[in-house]
Amino acid sequence: MIYLTDGTKECFLTAFLYAFSDENALISSSQTQLALGQESVFVAADAAKAKKTEARLLSFDKDCMNDLFYLLRSGRNDREQIAFRYLKLLTEKKMPVREMAEDASIAANECIRKVTYEIHRMHGFVRFLESASGALYAPLSPDNDIVDLLTPHFRARLPEFPFVLHDVKRKKAAVYDGKNSFLAPLESAEIVLSADEQRWQSLWQRYYQSVNIPQRERLKQMKGYMPVRYWKHMPEFHATDPLST
Amino acid sequence: MIDEQRLKLLTEGAKYDVSCSSSGSKRKNTGGMGNGYAAGCCHSFTPDGRCISLLKILMSNDCVYNCKYCPNRLDADVPRVSATPEEVAELTIDFYKRNYIEGLFLSSAVEKSPNYTMEKLVRTVKLLRTQYRFHGYIHLKGIPRADEALIHEAAKYADRMSYNIELPSERSLKLLAPQKSKESLLLPMKKLAEDRAVFREEKRKGLFLPAGQTTQMIIGASPEKDSQIVRLTQSLYRSMGLKRVYYSSYVPVVHDSLLPDLPAGQLREHRLYQADWLLRFYGFTAEEIAPENENLPLDLDPKCAWALRNMQLFPVEVNHAPLELLLRVPGIGGRSAQKILQARKYTNLTFEHLQKMRVVLKRARHFITANGKFYGAKSETAVRGYLTAGENSENSRQLSLFSDTETALSALTGEL
Ligand code: SF4
Repeated sequence: MIYLTDGTKECFLTAFLYAFSDENALISSSQTQLALGQESVFVAADAAKAKKTEARLLSFDKDCMNDLFYLLRSGRNDREQIAFRYLKLLTEKKMPVREMAEDASIAANECIRKVTYEIHRMHGFVRFLESASGALYAPLSPDNDIVDLLTPHFRARLPEFPFVLHDVKRKKAAVYDGKNSFLAPLESAEIVLSADEQRWQSLWQRYYQSVNIPQRERLKQMKGYMPVRYWKHMPEFHATDPLST
Repeated sequence: MIDEQRLKLLTEGAKYDVSCSSSGSKRKNTGGMGNGYAAGCCHSFTPDGRCISLLKILMSNDCVYNCKYCPNRLDADVPRVSATPEEVAELTIDFYKRNYIEGLFLSSAVEKSPNYTMEKLVRTVKLLRTQYRFHGYIHLKGIPRADEALIHEAAKYADRMSYNIELPSERSLKLLAPQKSKESLLLPMKKLAEDRAVFREEKRKGLFLPAGQTTQMIIGASPEKDSQIVRLTQSLYRSMGLKRVYYSSYVPVVHDSLLPDLPAGQLREHRLYQADWLLRFYGFTAEEIAPENENLPLDLDPKCAWALRNMQLFPVEVNHAPLELLLRVPGIGGRSAQKILQARKYTNLTFEHLQKMRVVLKRARHFITANGKFYGAKSETAVRGYLTAGENSENSRQLSLFSDTETALSALTGEL
């Protein structure tokens, strides 16, 4: 049986309760995973059931909800299934399984690491555009659903600047208005750039080109650190000016 | 706003400085802009595979010194440009705000005199910290022969400072950088280390070089052997408390009868970074890594080379070996060692487990047993053969080093 969730934690924990005793259970929030001939059922979130599951899981590992939090942020289609297998193992072993050499633990760890690693990367790769009002706007398309998890970092370093982190793929934005931060749906944004924005971008492009040592090309290494899919929102790759100067 | 032409020249003059790290500072935001990011943060990568973390520029490329290897030396015929403290501060702020950079790495040629130059650097950092209330990362280069008071002032505002010792021996320094001397580089480093220690001991208010000091030396412009370089590195870590020693393989931008015409191999530089990693994180000593008067082998990483000289210690059993020993196994790095320590608490690890945990066994299998089983080669010669396989010709070595992603990713740090 495939238990289909709405992607929320509450719904996942409800589904977990049903799927738990079912040998061939799959939990998914994505219908694309449906295999032919497999029965599926939509699970409605049930606060009481979710709470019960959560309490039971926490009794074995007080940190496991933190793991679940990051797992459900993953951009993988099978994130619920990875979380399900991991937490099922936890209920079998009745003690933290995070460090065990078990397939379910290893898969969960790798999935969590991808999410937290992308958060770290995005702290560096986000590029703000300065709008005429002085507010900062950054479009991004991260692999994982993390845009609101970037807010604390930028809020701590730019407390005097309102900013918008726009996940253009998921069409939502993490907004900081100078006082509070919140998540909002956002289809597309029209930004009026500040008078100097273009010149600062050109200076940045010039800097990027000048700091490179062309005799030492190591593109593979560069792309390993900064995958090409992240480039589209970075002005250093929009230079109209050819790299050779 | 600084113009593109000067930005270009001042950047090109600074780009051979390897250090771009922004780690080690936890400076807080107390109003204004910016804060430290203790782990360091890369904002971009250039096609040469290097990270851009800091805005790395010269205040000026107009030099009264005449270091032989330097494109900005007095005798060189290059366009001379300088920036003002105001221009540099503004550039830093506007780049930082857009999240292009983690902070500033400001260096300079010796413009007019050491004190004149150092004063400009100090003015810039003060402007940033007090007027702009900037709390992001600032790395300042110390100018040799500038007054102690200026250096001390700079250290009150910077996160990190560095004096580059440039060449691995006094003799080479005299020959190639005649206006600098061992003392003009080492004494201020020592003084800063002492001042920092006093500052910490007395728990004074504010910060004093929270990210410490680093240095850099050029590899391959002078005849010193790797063994000498690794020993010097070790003593810099031990006696000066440096955070990092950087190596920069020599790139000939200048023709001089005293200098080689060919660039130093990047593989050599990479081996030195690997040796440095062994010193800093895996508990090796310089004497273990590089036998007297020798260079590091190019066809083996320094940990493999050490292990082959010490085969009597192997194989070690992964289920019992202490961390220090696991870290000495070729192919097992810090993260793998940690994973092994954790997982073996729950079960007796087999090779299958290790594989599932993605411990890379290509090299390690010759040096470990898992649950008593050994899957390595039988003889030392065979092991050596496996370890150097595919790395026979100079060409393939240089290529293979940077062509597979796994090694490419470790190439910057020397992580082993
Ligand atoms: S002091 Fe020496 S290395 Fe530094 S800019 Fe002047 S000539 Fe170049």
